[in-house]
Amino acid sequence: MEFFWASIRKDLARWRQDFTAVLLWLSIPLIIGGLITSLVDGNGGAKPRGVLLIADLDDTFLSGFVAGAYSQGELGELISVEKTTVEAGTESINAGEASGFLIIPEGFTDALLDSKPVTLTLKTNPAQTILPGIIRNVTDVLLDAGFYINQIFGDEIDQMIDTEPGGQSNDVKVASIAVAIQKKIDAAAPLLFPPAIEITIADPPEDGPSVSIALLFLPGIILMAVMFSSNGLAGDYWAERENGTLRRLVYAPGQLSGFLAGKALAAGAIIALIGAITLVIGFVYHDLAWAKLPPSLAWITASGVALFAWFGALQMLASTQRAANLMTAMLLFPLLMAGGSFFPLAALPDWIAAIGRRTPNGFMVDRLTEELTAAGAWTIDPQSWLIILLMAVSGLGICAWRLQTGFARS
Amino acid sequence: MLSVENLVKQYGELVAVDDVSFEAAEGAVFGLLGPNGAGKSTAINCISGLLQPTSGRVTVAGYNVQKEPRQAKRSLGVVPQELALYEDLPAVDNLRYWGRAYGLRGSELETRVTEVLGTIGLGDRAKDLPKTFSGGMKRRLNFGCGIVHRPPVMLLDEPTVGVDPQSRERLFELVEAERAKGTCIVYTTHYMQEAERLCDSVAIIDHGKMIARGSVAELRAQLGARDVLQLNGRFPAGPSKEAVGALAAQNGLDIEIISQEESSLTLTLSSASQHLPAVFQAISNAGGKVSETSLRSPNLETLFLLLTGKELRE
Ligand SMILES: Nc1ncnc2c1ncn2[C@@H]1O[C@H](COP(=O)(O)OP(=O)(O)O)[C@@H](O)[C@H]1O
Ligand SMILES: [Mg+2]
Repeated sequence: MEFFWASIRKDLARWRQDFTAVLLWLSIPLIIGGLITSLVDGNGGAKPRGVLLIADLDDTFLSGFVAGAYSQGELGELISVEKTTVEAGTESINAGEASGFLIIPEGFTDALLDSKPVTLTLKTNPAQTILPGIIRNVTDVLLDAGFYINQIFGDEIDQMIDTEPGGQSNDVKVASIAVAIQKKIDAAAPLLFPPAIEITIADPPEDGPSVSIALLFLPGIILMAVMFSSNGLAGDYWAERENGTLRRLVYAPGQLSGFLAGKALAAGAIIALIGAITLVIGFVYHDLAWAKLPPSLAWITASGVALFAWFGALQMLASTQRAANLMTAMLLFPLLMAGGSFFPLAALPDWIAAIGRRTPNGFMVDRLTEELTAAGAWTIDPQSWLIILLMAVSGLGICAWRLQTGFARS
Repeated sequence: MLSVENLVKQYGELVAVDDVSFEAAEGAVFGLLGPNGAGKSTAINCISGLLQPTSGRVTVAGYNVQKEPRQAKRSLGVVPQELALYEDLPAVDNLRYWGRAYGLRGSELETRVTEVLGTIGLGDRAKDLPKTFSGGMKRRLNFGCGIVHRPPVMLLDEPTVGVDPQSRERLFELVEAERAKGTCIVYTTHYMQEAERLCDSVAIIDHGKMIARGSVAELRAQLGARDVLQLNGRFPAGPSKEAVGALAAQNGLDIEIISQEESSLTLTLSSASQHLPAVFQAISNAGGKVSETSLRSPNLETLFLLLTGKELRE
């Protein structure tokens, strides 16, 4: 028991060192919630639009590809990309004239092809919140994609680099390389590219329910924050494996359960903090009965622990940290989409909503919606609490099993 | 205090630890000496419970590691080869946390943590985060985390790899201080000088097999008073061998070939410096040529060479 408390304190102290992560998770519901509420409740309001400055010192087709990725599809409506120099870009970002400034260093392509570490410098505008966040996320995804593209197309890219410009025979070579690449893309596309996220604003149904549309968005938005934070918190298993402390844990006599329970409770505390802040804001805005706050917060926290347990289990089942992150990231978006975080479940066609309610987070959103919109408090039935408990226990069970069967070894 | 009987650990076809047995006594340092990949870490991990051995038995302070892991682990302190620290938790909290993991509580824990901080020389940096520490300081904290619970048996896996000479000396002193308190210490290394400096007894392992065991003095005696003579140049295979054989027969020399290749020849013989001219003459008569000579007095390194025909560190 003592070790359980020590484990909670230990993890909370460590997360305090990394408080920016916690703030980022908290900013998700605040920003998106604020945005949606202003769109649904307010008088419309234009989409935000930001400028991303890029200084491309490498100036190759790959670095150009990176620069182009920011202005593709839906993203292009939010972000416009402008090429610049290092000096001019630094000046603009310091003056707060752009949302972000990306420097692609010289030798970026070579480093990427040789799988050597390379640093893209991204400066974001501290005065803005959502657009720099989006730019940061796109950058992360791009870097992961770059890694996998190099694994798959390494040979072709090498050939392309080796091909001297000019010379007739080279055209044939380039054509054959292009065909080879196209074949691989066709085969790999369904695996590689996560589903595109469309940004659509749902029109309020004419004969909708009496509750405000904005309130229907609230549970989904809170669960989005819970999903992001529980996923981020679960990444700590890999961090502890990398810094060797999991090995020390195995050296110690019979402390696995205290350690795991402590980690889950510490995660629960952070999720509760995020949940409490967002709930209080939501309650004040929508003028909800305060009696519903305790059950709502308890539900969010318990759901967060259950999601944390399962994200942890998935992380520990993956063979590398990179694979773990890619897997959970690819899982996160479809789940958020189906589970009512982008559109309220009530606004989805019935059959999609039925599927959505069967996803773990959709189930959690559904019960929270019920709690917030029903007449009384504590409307969530014991069976639902039991499902959450079982989820948490089974996820943690897999974590314990993985810790004993070699995850601690590096 | 620690007994390892017929320990075997297989990874598929590879036998990483092949029938290793030894006993380590309290108040003594037992060295596991071997080149990289010999199976030292695998053996240590089987003792610490991190790995399940394929067969064999390990007892720590009378407890079987497989059957009574809790009691056995309580008596064990492990200092792993790679650092195992919370870099974002103050040094003192690292020690407290692992102290609690072994059941220390309250004032007993605080007293012990303060004591360990003093021992590892980090008393004035207790509240700082390890990520601000130098490599040597991290090593010492890593050591400290392994001894908070006063383990009667310690496992140290190559604790000095990548450590600067000064920090290395401090670690040696820490190990010696633990020994003086009566701790039974198993120390793995591929540095001969470390084994000779620290260890009361030594087992030499190669390819998972134990090829020699005894006190440092006993192992030296096994080598005899013979020096190791290493020659580079050109050595026709057959004639060189015959020439060395003839040398032994004629002069009654205690000489033996350890390894022979076209361009190098390694011999052992007593009082080598006296017999160098005779050896050169014999090789020259056999049509060979010596271009470089090195002579080493007997130590564990030459014993390893004698036993395996190869250098401990390639
Ligand atoms: N998890 C593993 N799977 C397969 N082989 C391994 C594994 N761990 C170690 N080995 C092999 O076992 C042998 C002994 O390794 P190790 O115990 O680390 O040696 P040492 O610590 O003496 O340098 C090496 O050949 C190594 O490649
Ligand atoms: Mg090793």
